[in-house]
Amino acid sequence: MLNVLMLGVGQCGNRILDAMNKEAFGGGGASKLAKYYLRPKFPSRVETLAINTAVNDLKELRFTTAKDRLHVPNLHGVGANRNVGKQAFMENRDMIMGEIEKRGDFDIAFVITSTSGGTGSSFSPLLINELKRQYKDIAVITVAILPFREEGSIYLQNAAFSMRELMEVDAEGIILADNQYMKRFSGDIASAYDKINNMIAQRLLFLIESLDSEMLSVTDLGDFKTVMNGGLRIGTMGFYQADSKNLSIRDAIENSLKPGNLLYPANVADDAARAMIIIQGSREHLDVDEITKAVEKLSASAGHVFKGIMVKKGRPKILSVFTLASAPELEGIYAQAARAMQEEKEKRTRARKQLDDAFAHIEDLEEIY
Amino acid sequence: MKASSYRLGLICLLLYVLLIGSACAAESDEEDEDEITFRDFSLNIGDRVDLDDYQMELIEIQSLRDGLVVMRVSRVGGSLDEQRALLLDSPNNFDGGAEKGGVTITITDIFDEQSARVRLEYEQKLGTPRKRASDRPAAMPEKPELLVQKSFDRNEMHVGDEVKVTITIKNTGTGTANDIDVQDIPPLPEFTYIAGYPPKIKETLDSGQSDSAVYILNAAREGSVQIPAVVVSYADSKKNSKSNSSEPFSIIIRPKSKADLVINVEDTPPLVLDEEGLLNISISNQGSASATRIEATGEVSPSDGLEIKGLDKSFFEIPPGDAANFSARISGHKRGIYTIRLKVSYDDGDGSVIREATSRAVVLKREYKYQYLLVIIPIIIVSAWIYRRHREYKY
Ligand SMILES: Nc1nc2c(ncn2[C@@H]2O[C@H](COP(=O)(O)OP(=O)(O)O)[C@@H](O)[C@H]2O)c(=O)[nH]1
Ligand SMILES: [Mg+2]
Repeated sequence: MLNVLMLGVGQCGNRILDAMNKEAFGGGGASKLAKYYLRPKFPSRVETLAINTAVNDLKELRFTTAKDRLHVPNLHGVGANRNVGKQAFMENRDMIMGEIEKRGDFDIAFVITSTSGGTGSSFSPLLINELKRQYKDIAVITVAILPFREEGSIYLQNAAFSMRELMEVDAEGIILADNQYMKRFSGDIASAYDKINNMIAQRLLFLIESLDSEMLSVTDLGDFKTVMNGGLRIGTMGFYQADSKNLSIRDAIENSLKPGNLLYPANVADDAARAMIIIQGSREHLDVDEITKAVEKLSASAGHVFKGIMVKKGRPKILSVFTLASAPELEGIYAQAARAMQEEKEKRTRARKQLDDAFAHIEDLEEIY
Repeated sequence: MKASSYRLGLICLLLYVLLIGSACAAESDEEDEDEITFRDFSLNIGDRVDLDDYQMELIEIQSLRDGLVVMRVSRVGGSLDEQRALLLDSPNNFDGGAEKGGVTITITDIFDEQSARVRLEYEQKLGTPRKRASDRPAAMPEKPELLVQKSFDRNEMHVGDEVKVTITIKNTGTGTANDIDVQDIPPLPEFTYIAGYPPKIKETLDSGQSDSAVYILNAAREGSVQIPAVVVSYADSKKNSKSNSSEPFSIIIRPKSKADLVINVEDTPPLVLDEEGLLNISISNQGSASATRIEATGEVSPSDGLEIKGLDKSFFEIPPGDAANFSARISGHKRGIYTIRLKVSYDDGDGSVIREATSRAVVLKREYKYQYLLVIIPIIIVSAWIYRRHREYKY
């Protein structure tokens, strides 16, 4: 049995964590009441912990138990300032780590956070370091959410800096999800968030299940680590469930890799470094030939492809996890961030200059009374 | 005012003068020659009138009705001694009568059985007749007086009741009553005769004696009945017949008195399977007569599943206004609704009557006393659970 630690840091991380808890209750509308009579059903031993400096963000949660919500006291919040955030983490490090320690030993930890906010983006790199220090053999996967591009220069800047820090820490890898990319799912922001969060939650649960099950053809934590270690150590996930009109397993695998089904825009054929394909479904749908053909095709472009097959009643479901050898979109963000920062800087100097010019008018004057 | 009293005085004076005048005239007539004159005497029995040497005595009023009076006329020396019955208003001559120097006696009036008025006619020269009252006390008059009474032993009764009628005759007068005859009309058709009619009363009753007769009737028809008077007729010793009657009165005959039993079988509260309960029964007599030979028998339908002990009972009598109460033990061995029918037969005084009453008994499956807990406890558990869960997720 795998011991899994799920940490949701900051508002975005908290909400995705809450979505996972909801998903563990069965998901959908029924789960609203399910918490009153059920226990969340995780495939492994999963401990969840929502960490935030903002009490209101913690209060918003619905499916996470009170004891799994950890408030990190900080006088005025962090206000998207990563430096304040870092300081707040350091001041409360022992308390936070103690809270995690209480939950026992773990084989793998997922740290879910937005890259652009204050708390999550500043806490997460430090938290990952602490986890690595405290748990010798733990695999740490960061689930990082990229902002909507129009959210403003501070968010972009935060995203750029926090991504760099996340890539520098000694984690197993980063799974990216891009709000901007998934914006198309919904018109308004609130339901877009919900949709995105549910998608991420569903995929993560599926992933955990696959790492901890008696598979026909086994993938395990080691395989997953290997995949995450590939390329830039930055990857993403694709997911597809076959519909009743087309139950072809091959088509399903190919669909799971199509840009439309990814959390982050990537061209699998060109950019994938390593991949893992997890296949679930009724035995009659699991045509080994078809699977092999699809996997072979992927292997031709991506370096190595692990495959896992879970026999479970239902239409074929595919989760594909892969790392990237190159991330042009991410580069785009940095460019945009740099531009924004540059603009900001220029704006500031321009404003400063204007103000200085204004002061110039009274430069030689004394106050007269 | 003054003038009228003066005139009244004058009239009185005038009348006075006239009277004196006429008296003087009569006096003068007598003295003129040997004229026949008369005097009236009121005599009691035994009284005597003396004139010259004639003695005339009232012996007896022989018959008031026939106007016969017995007188004895005698002459001192024994030349006349005759006792004769004189008829009212007819002159009787003795010694040739007043015309011939004797006396003529006429009974002009009979007052009663003791006295009469006698007119004596005689020649004036015989002198003035004098009345000698009898020195022996006047014999008690023979005057029987019957009181008659008719009575019922009660004046309210029910159809079918026997009633005793008493007729009492009492001689409250003096003298014996003879030929007593009682005329009593029985009150038919409201009554039927049973025994003792016609009432037999002695034919003669001495003064102070009484006699009574009783007869028995049976009230036959309800209503208010006027009881006619009883008439007694009798005669005194002189065959004077008399009669008297009782006061009529009325009595009430109510409808036949009967026992009327009302049976009340109490509904029992639901019985729990195999537990015992009591069935209370009350038989009350709301009629006006005693109920006798009361037999209560019960039956249950459906016939198996409910056991009843002590439902069959009998009583000798239940007087009117009284009640017999008893209870039976019931126990249910099968779930269901049972009908208990109690049949009571009795004699209501007129014949045999059957009355019935029913009750139902419910036998429940089990003890459901704490049934509500079955609902409440789960609710409490669920609420507590939900609250705990709520607390768990409340941040
Ligand atoms: N996918 C997703 N993104 C979110 C959600 N909430 C906030 N974000 C994104 O996270 C960023 C803000 O970070 P946030 O987590 O709110 O800040 P923090 O609480 O200070 O860590 C913005 O780019 C938002 O678009 C959410 O529920 N789902
Ligand atoms: Mg926020």
